[in-house]
Amino acid sequence: MSTTATVQDRPVAPKANTLELVQQSWIYRFLLFPIGQMLIFIAGATILLTVIAYAIAIAFPAPNPNIDLVTQINRQLPGMIISGVSIGFVYSMIALGYTLVYGVLQFINFAHSELFMVGSATGFVVMKALEDNGVLKEWNPILMILFMLVCAMTVSGILAMLMERIAYRPLRGAPRLVPLITAIGISFFLIDFVRAGFAITRNEFNLTYPVRSLEMFATPVRVAIGETTVNVRTTSIMIIISAVIMLVILNYIVNGTKLGRGIRAVAQDQTMSGLLGVNVNLMISLTFLIGGAFGGAAGMLFGMNVGTITPYVGFLPGLKAFTAAVLGGIGNITGALLGGLTIGIVEAFLNGVLVYYPALGQRYTDILTFSVLILILIFRPTGILGKRVDEKV
Amino acid sequence: MGAILTVTNLVKSFGGIAAVRDVSVNVEEGSISSIIGPNGAGKTTLFNLLTGIYKPDSGSIMFNGQSLVGKRPDQVNKAGMSRTFQNIRLFPSMTVIENVMVGMHSRLKISLFDAIVRTKKFYEQEAHVVEKAHRLLKFVGIDEHANEISRNLPYGDQRRIEVARALASDPKLVLLDEPTAGMNPQESTEAMNLFRKIRDELGVTVVLIEHDMRVVMGISEYIAVLDYGQKISEGTPNDVRNDPRVIEAYLGRRTTSTEAAQ
Amino acid sequence: MASTTITNAPNPNRRALLATGFALAYVVVAVLALILVDRNSLWYPLYNVFAYSMYVLSPILIISLPIPNPIKFGGLAILLLIVTPMLGIYNNSYMEIAVQICIFAGLALGLNIVVGFAGLLDLGYVAFFAVGAYLWAVFTSTSETVFKLNGWLVPGEMFWVFLVIGVFIAAFVGILLGLPVLRLRGDYLAIVTLGFGEVIRILARNANDPINITNGAQGLIGIGKPPVPDLLHGITNEAIRIMSLRVDNPGFVAQQLLFYLIAVGLLVLIIVISRRLEDSPIGRAWTAIREDEVAAKAMGVPLVRMKLAAFATGASFGGAIGVLYAAKQAFVDPTSFVLLQSIIILAMVIVGGMGSIRGVILGAIAMTLLNLHVLTNLSLQLNALRNVNFIVPIIDFPIRNWPNQLEPAKYQPLIFGLVLVLMMIFRPEGLMPAERRKLELKAEREESAGLDEQAAPQPKGDA
Repeated sequence: MSTTATVQDRPVAPKANTLELVQQSWIYRFLLFPIGQMLIFIAGATILLTVIAYAIAIAFPAPNPNIDLVTQINRQLPGMIISGVSIGFVYSMIALGYTLVYGVLQFINFAHSELFMVGSATGFVVMKALEDNGVLKEWNPILMILFMLVCAMTVSGILAMLMERIAYRPLRGAPRLVPLITAIGISFFLIDFVRAGFAITRNEFNLTYPVRSLEMFATPVRVAIGETTVNVRTTSIMIIISAVIMLVILNYIVNGTKLGRGIRAVAQDQTMSGLLGVNVNLMISLTFLIGGAFGGAAGMLFGMNVGTITPYVGFLPGLKAFTAAVLGGIGNITGALLGGLTIGIVEAFLNGVLVYYPALGQRYTDILTFSVLILILIFRPTGILGKRVDEKV
Repeated sequence: MGAILTVTNLVKSFGGIAAVRDVSVNVEEGSISSIIGPNGAGKTTLFNLLTGIYKPDSGSIMFNGQSLVGKRPDQVNKAGMSRTFQNIRLFPSMTVIENVMVGMHSRLKISLFDAIVRTKKFYEQEAHVVEKAHRLLKFVGIDEHANEISRNLPYGDQRRIEVARALASDPKLVLLDEPTAGMNPQESTEAMNLFRKIRDELGVTVVLIEHDMRVVMGISEYIAVLDYGQKISEGTPNDVRNDPRVIEAYLGRRTTSTEAAQ
Repeated sequence: MASTTITNAPNPNRRALLATGFALAYVVVAVLALILVDRNSLWYPLYNVFAYSMYVLSPILIISLPIPNPIKFGGLAILLLIVTPMLGIYNNSYMEIAVQICIFAGLALGLNIVVGFAGLLDLGYVAFFAVGAYLWAVFTSTSETVFKLNGWLVPGEMFWVFLVIGVFIAAFVGILLGLPVLRLRGDYLAIVTLGFGEVIRILARNANDPINITNGAQGLIGIGKPPVPDLLHGITNEAIRIMSLRVDNPGFVAQQLLFYLIAVGLLVLIIVISRRLEDSPIGRAWTAIREDEVAAKAMGVPLVRMKLAAFATGASFGGAIGVLYAAKQAFVDPTSFVLLQSIIILAMVIVGGMGSIRGVILGAIAMTLLNLHVLTNLSLQLNALRNVNFIVPIIDFPIRNWPNQLEPAKYQPLIFGLVLVLMMIFRPEGLMPAERRKLELKAEREESAGLDEQAAPQPKGDA
């Protein structure tokens, strides 16, 4: 995603050379540039982490002498990268919701993780309904994913808008902590509401997507790299493709449409935007709609990927995504994307390597995310890409 | 008397825009000085730099023989420099006297132990704090409102509370940021008398940021003029009044002010 | 509340008399309502919800009424030290709830120092509670931890020492956690403290391997209790004899009574400390920080030090209560220290009124009652009705058809979430706001000057 500075419409210079013409073209601004940016970042991050992983493998042999870490990593590397990138995109999509809302309201929507959860629950309901009606296997898988995505996005998006309308709008102008506490309340309410809903209707709240009954998702794709063959999960690929398409669309909405300009204007200065004829309330509502829709989509994709979800599924991804948003500089869209990818990839590598060190173990990876969050907030609260802002007195 | 505050080549910029550029100012001990200049000239930024709320990019601030650069606001306050704010910043739900008592914080010896056990020392100190707060409120003339919630008082009285609160830490120098903004001529005359009283009776050096030229010319012994973050003139009221650069800054600004506001 | 009765009463003595009489009548009615009822009747649980709630709210009523101080505090002492223990011996579940209320009121007051006084939103407060609880637990539990295997266990008599150690350890942890994060802006601080709370819980869950310290997710069992003094045994037996009750295990009742007395004692201590801190330069500095951080630091208030003081004080309350909690429950596991627990404590502070000691106690009473008494009894009632195949008249709905999943006791998070949202939207200042005392004083002063009573009188300048 491009930063706003490169996207602003400049007047056409009289002596525009070819490069500038290309840079102003639609395809470059909304397709090549953002996708290229993501690719370069992913490539850089994975190369760096691969080097680190091998360095660790060589420097600290695994406690179990029968395991040669280097060959293990050789075998696992492609899988780690794919799963890291796919979970990274999930985090990015959630982080976008935090960042968009923060951008316009300077408020951490603590309940955003529950939009993610509702999205994944919606995905489950839709998929289960398709299965129960026997159409699951008849439909074109791509069409089905699209349909589930649209449902999850609609439900979460509208829920986000309602949330803003009912609970946050009356509190605008209240001290900062007031809407934050409200958001926590909403979060607990939603978790329990969904739990109750499923407990009553289904007598359980472990929701298992009927993914296995689909041939396409049941067997991993086998990719041969040199001598080793690697299993790649289809759901991971699905997540990556869907996420890239959605992020490109989001980039277009925010940077290329009137709506996006309205949202950016409100983010800059609410009062002034209002005076200049921007419908501030509408823009805030739409921001919640977009953020919620992305959260919902992420939830549905996540659900497909992990298979079984619960109403409590939102907390950890939500916290990691929040960390991602802060890492990238909260309020900064590109930052949220890159932050999410970073956390996803690092997490995949950590999980891949820590398995071989039972004393440390994977059970502490979650603590690690918290620690990263705490460290960033302490040492660079504006994030890696955010700019330092002095307190206005 | 020598200089109590010496600011040398102070620089501060925000995201590439210089708010204060290379400003040097000397404030004589026991004087009343003013800093004037058009809106956005960097006056309040200068105050924020002096009181440690912003950290300067470069330059030095020597106050009463010690450097203030890198000191936290509470340390600056303890060193003897106190201030008021342009847009009044009282503690709104506290009473008037409580506001003033908070102003004494840096002069108190406080431990959790004393507060919990209620030692004799604690009671003595509290009695002294209350007595002194009343004395200050009498000094600024609002002691009869001591126990009212500060946000319920009219604007002019709130300005007085801020002054009393600033004086509570026994400062050697007070920075008053537009203390007469929004006052009618009679009120600002009273305010001027108060500023003189602060200097004459308490011996506190006073530095004002002021827009009201009647006030500025009426009480200042020394004036520094800022424009676009730079000091463009300084001296006695007469010097400044006749300085063509000052006239240009104020009058020339008229034509560009609408664009600058964008 | 008080002011409406005030205006019509010309004579303050008569007013005090009226208030005292009313409070006395209230307590007597509440106690009689608890005693004179058939515990086996069909509607007992629902009845119990109201009767015991009425009784438990009486201390707040007594504090709020304009009763002369000696009578007020004498009455409170009788209520807390004689009436409640008697009721608790009469029906042990009352004792249990009373202890829980004291425990949660103590925790809520600790959080109130941080959130209410200093204005720092701490979403991981339960971490300090956990520190205190695990401190006592690891040193006395009979679970197979390193402490037991190495013979590091201490006897129950050490409880009192550990109560003090708990205060200091928790305060130390508070400072340790607070030092790096207290520079953060409010909402970031909230998220970071949430993270710390979770980290402590995850550590407690995972610190059983390679060295078993906390026994992991299984929790620690058989935690030590302070020994009951003979005097208390005697008093308990005497009380049982006076009320001619049949009690199977008077030793257990005496132990419960001891915990109740410790909890009340701790709570009183916490209230006194809270009040004294509030009314001190430290309390003023906290208020200043809460209301305007920039102005506070410019006026010489050292932000980080004062915030640390708040964090450490709040944490120390949590630590002491944690030690008591572990001893009382005799069992701790990581699930007692989940985020929901922090949120419930926060709800107590918010419902009562951030920064208002009285309000926070009311909040703790209300939320604990809701959590442990109202919801539980409603579920019991539902089951009782189900068992007799009760059919709701008029709509002809057989209770039996009510889904099992719709039991009130299962909806804690939903209810507490809703409480937070509704309070924030409709009454963010809480049920008993802190400023009330100031405004009350002011209203009283104006009344005495013969002015008309107004809810929030506007100053008319110098009239």
